[in-house]
Amino acid sequence: MSIDIYWRIGTHGDQSSLRRRLVSRGDWSPVEPGSITPGLRGGRPDGYTHLDHMADVARSTELSGFVGGLLPSFPFTDDPWAAAASLARETTTYRFMIAFQPGFLHPVQAARMSASLQRATGGRVVYNIISGGGGPAQLWWGDKVGHDDRYARTSEFLDVLKAVWYGGPVTHKGRFYQVEGAGLPERLAGQPFPEVFFSGSSQAAIQAAGRHADYYLSWLEPFPALAAKFDQVREHSAAIGRSPRFAVRIDVLARETEDEAWAEIRRGWRHVDPEQLRGPESTGDSVGWLRSSQFIDWPVRTPRELEASPNVWGGFHLLRGGPAFGLVGSYSQVAARLDELIALGVDAFILAGVPHLEEARRVGEHVLPLLRGRWPDTAPDTSLPTLEAKGLTR
Amino acid sequence: MTSPVRSEGSSLPTKPPRFLLTLPTIGPDLSPAPLPDFVTDTREGRYGAFDAIAEVGRAAEVTGFDGIVAPFTSDAEESLVVVAGLLRDSRWIHGVAGFHPALGTPVYAAKLSASLQRFTGDRFGWWPVVDLPPEVARAYGDFLEGPDRYARADEFLTIAKGVWDHEDYTYEGRFFQVLAGGFQGPLAERRFPTVHLSGISADALDLSAKHADVHVFDVTDDLDALTADLAERAAERGRTVASGLRLTVVAREDEDEARGVRDVPDHALVGSFEQVAAELQGYADRGVNTFVLEPAPHIEEIYRLGELLLPLFLREHAHVD
Repeated sequence: MSIDIYWRIGTHGDQSSLRRRLVSRGDWSPVEPGSITPGLRGGRPDGYTHLDHMADVARSTELSGFVGGLLPSFPFTDDPWAAAASLARETTTYRFMIAFQPGFLHPVQAARMSASLQRATGGRVVYNIISGGGGPAQLWWGDKVGHDDRYARTSEFLDVLKAVWYGGPVTHKGRFYQVEGAGLPERLAGQPFPEVFFSGSSQAAIQAAGRHADYYLSWLEPFPALAAKFDQVREHSAAIGRSPRFAVRIDVLARETEDEAWAEIRRGWRHVDPEQLRGPESTGDSVGWLRSSQFIDWPVRTPRELEASPNVWGGFHLLRGGPAFGLVGSYSQVAARLDELIALGVDAFILAGVPHLEEARRVGEHVLPLLRGRWPDTAPDTSLPTLEAKGLTR
Repeated sequence: MTSPVRSEGSSLPTKPPRFLLTLPTIGPDLSPAPLPDFVTDTREGRYGAFDAIAEVGRAAEVTGFDGIVAPFTSDAEESLVVVAGLLRDSRWIHGVAGFHPALGTPVYAAKLSASLQRFTGDRFGWWPVVDLPPEVARAYGDFLEGPDRYARADEFLTIAKGVWDHEDYTYEGRFFQVLAGGFQGPLAERRFPTVHLSGISADALDLSAKHADVHVFDVTDDLDALTADLAERAAERGRTVASGLRLTVVAREDEDEARGVRDVPDHALVGSFEQVAAELQGYADRGVNTFVLEPAPHIEEIYRLGELLLPLFLREHAHVD
């Protein structure tokens, strides 16, 4: 089985680098000279939108050897369905990994949108099923369902969606959804069902993943913790006769040399708010977020204090919006770490870097060609401390 | 070339009417005819239904139509996906998506729409379809019947507009809710999609009075009585609602040719370009500002109407200006 490597598309603009927090691509910051999509021509907006930049990133990503990319969804981002449907005909091979929360769309509607999008793209739709981080953001979306119930709903949503997809008419009366005689129209039926990347770190998530995930997707964590998490998923899945593959979402900062990579981090570090160095604060019920905050001994003062293991750096959230962990190092170091993850059982990566367009080209040019895959000498080092030893199991 | 005949005593409208085309997202037109085996066919596997739909969108764009409608019908391509793709491929046309106003939460529908407005320069429109046959509704997970459906559509539109227009918006409804919601930053800067609604019941007119930008009637409706009724209901809320009309036109060089066209549906406007334009102008004089042409026209028909019918209205207004 070959390894699928994705590259994220930013759905809330982008910075010109990690050195500056200003989101100068897309219109999340005031449009001024130096802004891109929209930019200024003769002092007036040039008519381009963030979608044009997303299109450029998608095309660069295609050319750089990635199979597609994740389109994230948060209250402040553009919408992944809207972006994928808009870009369907402007790309050739790019797979659109659409992040969505099952609670927000009815499964029959999701089935229809997906089937039409499969037809528009020639089968390039992939799902990133997320069940929400809880807290005020969940209520912002209009969703009052509690943490474990959201996973129960996700599970029922996918049951209904698949039943509709693979043949109707479906009649179902469940806890969250009820339909009678549901199905896809004949012309929409028979498309390949999108691969499911399933996210979530809690027990409820891992159980739901066992049932529905083609890929169990995790943020990057220090490798032993990640390995332990995968083992849990394997165990739950095996109990019901399934064997999901594994995917990791990783930010990458790779340069010719290790020194250059860390120098880049240090330039961004100058603009970090000292308050943030005391430690993170959560407002939701995300277990994944809680886990990732525990791998670091807060407070910290210097960038390297956030290096949980060689090249595994937990400070990306200080330099741009998003999860904390990623890889920092030379091209060959980053490739070696990715090989180690492959040896741990990872079958797919969702890589990202800021700025997304240029870094996709860099990583495609300099890192991906160095990957060796599942070679014997990249077997995981089992002498690393276990997750239990660090008190991180819940 | 004569201008459309204006009925007596009418005041000149300030703008030409909008012409929208209903897309053929269902039906056999989407698949081109196969070639005989011995003829080289380079199309195999390269083209699909969306290429045919894209052609229609391009035709509407270059021939001067104001927009396209992807209808909500249970055997059609999904309308949001269709419209998003067509708007990306065009500069001018608006795209109206028909959908069931329980397709998801109103916050999500608004969020997806905010992106489409951003991507298209405010060219995206809504057409929520409330009055569905019960068996169709239930297949979409909707077991409500009667006036409750309008109550839910009201909530759906109220919340969607609420989060669109307010940074901090809370609404606890019977069907939907949102707590401290509301769009911020660039998502909050676009116009809410133009809302099209239809139906002639009191509930339908009340929903339109409260939420519609355009209420679309059928040619068989009692247009004058209904537009007056709707205007009154809207005025009570301090609003006005434009009238639209859904109809089929068969226009050709002369009336005989038009009458010779096969498969003309009942109630279609049939005649020469001038005759059809005059009839449409008659509706415009009665307050109709949006014509939704259906059923799904062929590419050839779009070009024919765009080149030979639409100019009659544009010339008319060129004179007025």
